[in-house]
Amino acid sequence: MEQSKQLIGIKEYIAIVLLMVGTKVTDNTPTILFEYIKNAGWMAPIINGLIAIFPIYLLIKVFTIYKGKSLLEVSDHLFGKFFSFIILFIMLVVAFGAVIVDTAIYTDIIGTMYFTKTPTIIVYGILMLVCAYGATRGFEQIGSVAWTVFPYLQVSLFFALILTIGQGNTAFIFPILGDGAWEVVKESSLRLSLYADFLYLFLFYPYIKSEIVFKKGTWLALVFIIMNLSIVMVCYIFLFDYKTIMQLNYPYHELIRTISLGFIINMEAFFLPFWLIATFVRFSIYLYINAILFGHLFKIKHFEYLIPSLATLIVFLGMIPENPTFIIFDIKEKLLLMTSPLFFLLPLLMWLVAMFKGEFKNANKRNIR
Amino acid sequence: MLKRSLRKTHKKTISNEKSSSKDIKLKESDIPSNFEETIDTFKSIYSYPDNQDVVLRPIDISGINKKSTILFINTITDSKAIEDYVISPLLNNNDSSKKVEDIITIQSIKTKSKVGDIITKINQGNAALFVEGEDHAYLLGASNFESRAVEKAQNENVVKGPKEGFNEKATTNISLIRKRVKSENLVVESHIISKRSKNDLFLLYEKDLVSDKLLQNVKNRVNSLDVDAIQNLSLLEQYIEERKYSIFPTILYTERPDRAASFIEDGYIVLLMDNSPDALVLPATFWSFYHTSEEHYLRFPYGNFTRLLRILALFITLFTSSLYVAVVTYHSEMVPPDLLLAIAATREKLPFPAAVEVFIMEFAFELIREAGLRVPSPIGPTIGIVGALILGQAAVQANIVSPIVVIIVALGGLSSFAIGDISMNFTIRISRFLLLLSASFMGLYGITALFTMGIFYMVSIKSFGVPYLSPLTPSYASSGDKIFRKVLQKEILRPGYLKPKDLKKR
Repeated sequence: MEQSKQLIGIKEYIAIVLLMVGTKVTDNTPTILFEYIKNAGWMAPIINGLIAIFPIYLLIKVFTIYKGKSLLEVSDHLFGKFFSFIILFIMLVVAFGAVIVDTAIYTDIIGTMYFTKTPTIIVYGILMLVCAYGATRGFEQIGSVAWTVFPYLQVSLFFALILTIGQGNTAFIFPILGDGAWEVVKESSLRLSLYADFLYLFLFYPYIKSEIVFKKGTWLALVFIIMNLSIVMVCYIFLFDYKTIMQLNYPYHELIRTISLGFIINMEAFFLPFWLIATFVRFSIYLYINAILFGHLFKIKHFEYLIPSLATLIVFLGMIPENPTFIIFDIKEKLLLMTSPLFFLLPLLMWLVAMFKGEFKNANKRNIR
Repeated sequence: MLKRSLRKTHKKTISNEKSSSKDIKLKESDIPSNFEETIDTFKSIYSYPDNQDVVLRPIDISGINKKSTILFINTITDSKAIEDYVISPLLNNNDSSKKVEDIITIQSIKTKSKVGDIITKINQGNAALFVEGEDHAYLLGASNFESRAVEKAQNENVVKGPKEGFNEKATTNISLIRKRVKSENLVVESHIISKRSKNDLFLLYEKDLVSDKLLQNVKNRVNSLDVDAIQNLSLLEQYIEERKYSIFPTILYTERPDRAASFIEDGYIVLLMDNSPDALVLPATFWSFYHTSEEHYLRFPYGNFTRLLRILALFITLFTSSLYVAVVTYHSEMVPPDLLLAIAATREKLPFPAAVEVFIMEFAFELIREAGLRVPSPIGPTIGIVGALILGQAAVQANIVSPIVVIIVALGGLSSFAIGDISMNFTIRISRFLLLLSASFMGLYGITALFTMGIFYMVSIKSFGVPYLSPLTPSYASSGDKIFRKVLQKEILRPGYLKPKDLKKR
């Protein structure tokens, strides 16, 4: 596990971010958005994306002062040991909660849509086994894998979308604003945490080749993600109309079941492997994030060794809900709502503290440890 | 701790090992000043006259009137050269003022005074000349090991391009490389890597290209070997590789001098040894196993067509049988109804589940392949008959396997030959079985899980510090010769992951 620390480049970085956030569109996140915003749901990623520019901008601003320091060190420096511990602990709880909820959802997807007879624990176990194995390889390796597989995943997604547009009805998009402009803005901004993962990206700051790569990569990734999410969600509307999507828990999987190509009527098994690869890579990153946070908070230097035990814990916690399709859906909704203020306020707070401490003025002289 | 203490108590004392300190001391010392004593020493070292091929011939050098003795092993020495250029000039000399070096007309003469050095040289096929009253021996280069001629490369065939292959003689192999790289910067370093058999290893590199760190790394690894004998490169490969249990090879093995030369020109290091009709190229990436030299000899579209075939063949080999099992067992709804009915109809009478059926056939195919390799060539055709008739037709007629499985296995087997490199071929074949196993347990989910783990594993492999999938990821400046190649004029960069001293090819 003693990997030589090699810094990762912009391609790998963008691929990581896209797999972390972009994959959300294939689980039940779109359903949550459509539920409140009706058929303007596809705008939510755009609106949220525009709002998210603000906290991300502030964070990048703060982080440019501290060259090559991660969120952990910057937080320790700005808030002091005690408050920093609390904040990072909240972040860990949120991240750990999110990874439990999300893995439970993905297990549920695999279990209900593809492997109906297989016991949940086996599906869940294999999922976490692969992710834990991936995460123990190290961040650089996760980045490499993300970049290696990313083009193929994107191609498979677009292939599905092209087939969808051919079979859908474009008129379903109207009325464009759904319940009205104000409703759309209000309800979507409450679910800003769609992009909360960006906050966690700042944990990886020291692993990225250079500051410019990080900045450029983050912005580019944000743009790509907004495009990806909203285009896919528009396609859902074309195919199902909003009423159906509100009922469907996993629209992507219904979509790949519905589309057909010539004589191949059922294509889901063709898209499944690509989606699975994305899933594995995504949760490897999440596991790694959890391990970094946990390791920092409880002073464990070789945090890679934590990953297998974290993964085991996740399996058992994620197995608790007896009816994941509904219960986890509920929890996830709450989590999205609760995390939104954290994502918006923490960067603001960091920026304000940095400002009051006068960090921006003597940025050049500063050299924290 | 318990383990350690147990191991301590169980440590056996090796009792009947004789002390060789006397021998070592002798080899470290200079040759005795007394001429007779010197000859006796070497007689005892070489067990003369029990040793049949050791020749000791006393010569009285006429002219300068000195006694001398020539010692060589006649099976590995060119006796004709010794006779013509050493013995007869010494016997026919008339000039009393000439020195010994000037009398002998053989092309290479060295002087050595340490017993050990002299022995090493004699063992390498040189003749040693001891002259009365001189405190050193003359070592005359006349080695002549038996070897075959330069022949066609056996395993890496090309249709277009040079056909020469390496043979078992390192000097020939070096000459084949020098023929292609006519540069004073090509360095051929020699290292003795084994303690008892004194096997020679040749390190070839271009000194103005190769990265010093890489070179040092390789040298350290080669020099830190502590073994009695390493006969050839296939064995050496296993001594110097990093991950001994990994199914992925990390050192490239080629028998084509043109390929070795082109790697040297890119800043790689090539290892050569006697008794090895091949060269080791290090470091190796996944792509070097996937490429062959022919793709660059063929014109751009043809070369890339071959590459396309190969990458398809790679995936067909890896996935056909496992996908068949996964689809038939877990995802039958994916198959179009007509085909599904056809498959179901052929499987109607079969006693086995699809997974077992495919396993049987895959195993049989591997058996045929192994048998075809080992069988003496006069009875070779039998294998074809057995394979085609019994396993193909009779198995289907006996309702052991369904016809579609025969197609699937044959397709996978055929495609596996597209990967020319023998190590990578094994990797693919073993992975195919692993994928088949995971497919029979978890269908597509299992295949994908194993595949993802495989990729995670592949990106974490390093060959002498070079990531296995570079330059794909992590990306480096290079000519981008990955799945497809570029037009030659655009391949202007040496691979950046080697950190060559000169990145740009002119």
